[in-house]
Amino acid sequence: MADLAASDRISGYADAVLAVARAEGAQAEVEDELARFADALRSSDELQSTLADSDIDVERRLQITEDLLGGRALPATAALVSLVVGAGRGGELVDIIDATIDRAAAGRNRRVARVRSAVELTAEQRARLAKAIKASAGLDVEIQAIVDPTVVGGVVTEIGDDVIDGSVRSRLQQMRAGLG
Amino acid sequence: MRPTILSPGARPGGHRNRATVRRLAAAAGLVVAVTLASTSSAWAAGETVGGCVLEKVAEAKTEHGSLDAVKALPSEELGELEDELEGCIESPNPIFPALDEIIWGGLAFLILFAFMWWKGFPAVKRAMDARSEKIRADLDAADTAKADAMRTKTEYEAQLADAKAAAAAIVDEARAQADQLRQDLQARAEADIAEQRARAAADVESSRRQAIDDLRTEVAAIAVGAAERVVGASLDADVHRSLIDGYIDEVAGAGSNGDGS
Repeated sequence: MADLAASDRISGYADAVLAVARAEGAQAEVEDELARFADALRSSDELQSTLADSDIDVERRLQITEDLLGGRALPATAALVSLVVGAGRGGELVDIIDATIDRAAAGRNRRVARVRSAVELTAEQRARLAKAIKASAGLDVEIQAIVDPTVVGGVVTEIGDDVIDGSVRSRLQQMRAGLG
Repeated sequence: MRPTILSPGARPGGHRNRATVRRLAAAAGLVVAVTLASTSSAWAAGETVGGCVLEKVAEAKTEHGSLDAVKALPSEELGELEDELEGCIESPNPIFPALDEIIWGGLAFLILFAFMWWKGFPAVKRAMDARSEKIRADLDAADTAKADAMRTKTEYEAQLADAKAAAAAIVDEARAQADQLRQDLQARAEADIAEQRARAAADVESSRRQAIDDLRTEVAAIAVGAAERVVGASLDADVHRSLIDGYIDEVAGAGSNGDGS
């Protein structure tokens, strides 16, 4: 029941963020900036916990978002992030951003492929990977590249609940399982 | 049959014996009275000197009419009278009493004997019979008591023997139970010891396997960590690019091979 309520809440926030981005006429830029901000949140547990900590004053948390995004992102992007954090939903910010990107892609009849790699993918690699996924799964996808050092090497692609794991990390985990 | 212990007042025949004693006492008193009576008769017959003299004088007075006539008798008759009077003074025969005494004494004896034969002897006989009967009864009671005592002794000995046998049986049973209990306890203790040994061995084996598993896991973690460090250090930009390109090619190849995942 709580998960269902959280899912509805995340969907509501995602719809709102997407509507604001469309209204501002900068949907693509906002999506890209939100994706990068989500990438930064995933790489820093401390930042996630700080934005989700209700014991910290809202003004302090809003000041942190302002420090991170002010002058580096569109005002709409900063305002949307501040909206979510100011509403006390900082802990769900990454999910809200992912849901927003998923809805935006769905609006373009595409799905989002979240690609994690130890180093940033080049534009050429993103395009080739999108084509490869189209060729293998028949899906038109938009690549959301996420730099994740824990991958060590290689790539992990998530499309919804489907995972294509070609990372060195998974190879090492398999080796650990074999040795254990 | 046990002897009956009676108080003197409650003894059987006691009232009859007392009546017999009273009758005997009455008979003895009558004998004494008769004896005294006979003795007085003997005394009245002239047993004393004075009496004898008076009797002789009275006889002489009666025979001659008065004392003066007696005094006037011729010397020969006076001499005879004097002899009779001197006869009164002479002492009686120490062996043979006077005839009248023998007669009165014999008569008194016969009366007394007859009375005793009539009253005393049956009473004495009854008393003796009662005494004999009592003695016999006492002997019978003693025999009965003895028999009872012997029977009681026999019963007591039998009960004692039974009690000894029962005690011996109880002791044997208790000893058997104690032995059984000891054996059970020993068997249980041995089973517990064996179980504890088996459990300890299992624990040791489990601990050993756990230690081996932990060691293996630890070794694997160390090895993988070392491998990660080595791989991470050896992955330069070219290697990353090669890995990513290889991944993309594999995904694309999976599609051409009809594998969607």
